[in-house]
Amino acid sequence: MIKRATMIWMLLAIAAGIGLFVLKYEVKSMEGELATIHQKTLDNLEAVHVLKAEWSYLNQPARLEDLGRRLLDLEPVKANQTIEIDDIPFRPVHESGATSYPPAADQVPPLFAKTRRKQ
Amino acid sequence: MIGRQPFFPKKRRREPPVPPRVEAGRSRLLITGALFSAAFLVVSARLVGVTMFVEKSQPQYSRSVSKPAFVTGRANIVDRNGNLLATSLKTASLYANPRVMLDAREAVNKLANVLPELDRRALHAKLTQDRSFIWVRRHLTPRQKYEVNRLGIPGLDFRDEERRVYPSAALVSHILGHTDIDNHGLAGIERHFDRKLQSDKSPLNLSIDIRVQHAMRQELATAVREFHGIGAAGIVMDVRNGEVISMVSLPDFDPNLPADIQSDTRFNRATLGVYEMGSTFKIFNTAMALDSGIVTIRDGYDATKPIKVSRFIIRDFHAKRRWLSVPEIFMYSSNIGSVKMALEVGVTRQRAFLQKIGILHPSPVEISEIGAPLIPGRWREINAMTISFGHGLSVSPMQLVAGVGAMVNGGIYHAPTFLKKPSGSKNKGRRVISAKTSDRIRRLLRLVVAKGTGSKAAAEGFLVGGKTGTAEKVVGRRYKKKALMSSFVGAFPMNAPRYIVFAMIDEPTGTEKTFGYATGGWVAAPVVGKVISRIGPILGVKTVDESAPAIEREMAIDIITKQKGKRRLASF
Repeated sequence: MIKRATMIWMLLAIAAGIGLFVLKYEVKSMEGELATIHQKTLDNLEAVHVLKAEWSYLNQPARLEDLGRRLLDLEPVKANQTIEIDDIPFRPVHESGATSYPPAADQVPPLFAKTRRKQ
Repeated sequence: MIGRQPFFPKKRRREPPVPPRVEAGRSRLLITGALFSAAFLVVSARLVGVTMFVEKSQPQYSRSVSKPAFVTGRANIVDRNGNLLATSLKTASLYANPRVMLDAREAVNKLANVLPELDRRALHAKLTQDRSFIWVRRHLTPRQKYEVNRLGIPGLDFRDEERRVYPSAALVSHILGHTDIDNHGLAGIERHFDRKLQSDKSPLNLSIDIRVQHAMRQELATAVREFHGIGAAGIVMDVRNGEVISMVSLPDFDPNLPADIQSDTRFNRATLGVYEMGSTFKIFNTAMALDSGIVTIRDGYDATKPIKVSRFIIRDFHAKRRWLSVPEIFMYSSNIGSVKMALEVGVTRQRAFLQKIGILHPSPVEISEIGAPLIPGRWREINAMTISFGHGLSVSPMQLVAGVGAMVNGGIYHAPTFLKKPSGSKNKGRRVISAKTSDRIRRLLRLVVAKGTGSKAAAEGFLVGGKTGTAEKVVGRRYKKKALMSSFVGAFPMNAPRYIVFAMIDEPTGTEKTFGYATGGWVAAPVVGKVISRIGPILGVKTVDESAPAIEREMAIDIITKQKGKRRLASF
């Protein structure tokens, strides 16, 4: 005759066994998933590595210079095209209190270093 | 069992008197039970502790598996802005096992269709040997690998290998060097840091700026073409910490194809070649004289007649045939004046001074191609005389640039380096001349570009200063006439120097445009000027109005001229 306590213990043991089994398989499948993800990550990292090499190949200064010259309407900055921020005057305020608006672009004299000095 | 037999029987069941022996037995049982339950308590406490709390000594499995890392066998090399200069890519290499191979002749014929560069006879000989492993061809492209696989020849297989790739090809070749087929560094940075590159994972961060490197290489190549030179060298160095921003030696090579490198393209003119630098040495001579306190900026020397020493006659190239003040000697590059200045300071001091600024030792820069300077065995008066104007002592351009850096940056010598210094790191350096002497030298260098032989190096807005140098090349034991080494060493901006720019053309010939001259002022100075106007904006150097009164005051220098016995003061 099996006592009630023994029954409970046996049931618990069986439940634990089944639980362990299920857990083990779940972990195993997750491990497989992890390994796949790792492999994919590695593949992607390698692809990134190759792409970086290609990126720097495409970014060679000689090539960029050639592309810039052919496709852009820009030129290197010359020294006389730059100006100190302190050299820019504040917008003058009229006595009436109204601010004057800057003149149209084509009426502004070029900011050449030499012209500035003469003023 | 313990559960069934209570430890403490109830009083009412103690009807018959308990014999003393049983009493003793019970108390023993009680002690034993207590001990056991204490032990079980410890075990269960430990169980809870182990399962529920993480201990320090425990290996962290969960973390160690969660980070797949992509590691190559050799670390990358990047420039100062992180642009990739050298990397390792995976390739497939084809090998054969001749013992498994069925028909070597057929295999060779089939392979030759896919890989036409193969040497059929040599391969056949190898495939008929009694061995189990021979390389057929290393580093195939993915397409070649696919085609070899399609042939389906038994006994062939691939092995994954790595190959060093230099995306910028020849641009940085003399700095990087190259590797052999097994990825061992054979030259340049690759050789100097071979062990570090093989063990480190993080990329090696160089001080080179690839954009500056390109500007320098392009301008030098243009000059070599224009003046039919046989080679050139160029260096850009940060004067505040010794970082080399650019170093070019022409002709250069493609490090991706190490087997095709010719010996003349392999030669590094910037660090391995040592040359008599000529007049650029007058920077050192003048700084030495002024810093010693023996000569002042108001002194001068008679440069009317050439100096005769044993079988040599020392002449001036731009002869003035009169008394010249120290700034004039520098500006007109007078050999006679320089010699007299050096003799007044003395042989011992000259040697000590050159020692201090790194002229007498091989450059400490981190590549394997370093030339040792050629120093006179016995330093006599005649040596001191020729060294004053840059002859009789051969140094590499890198040594010269590092020395000039110390002359203009306030007097601190920094060892040149190819490695980027971490931002905020202190650059100690070593004081070699006083700040006052350095200031004088800056004004003199500016004078040469503003009014003297270096006018072609001017780059509007960048306040360039510098000194030209033209030397006849030594071939064997004599000077080769008409074979010149024309150089220019400049710095900018002269009021607070940031960078040294050096250019040198090997054996240029004059053109119609230069009136047949192939001197430093005509050949190398324009290169420096063009390079500075290109790299100035890239390096973030603020432009200045060169004719602003404040700037002119900073660069002004008093020049005393003596005509008809009277001293006059002119100020530039």
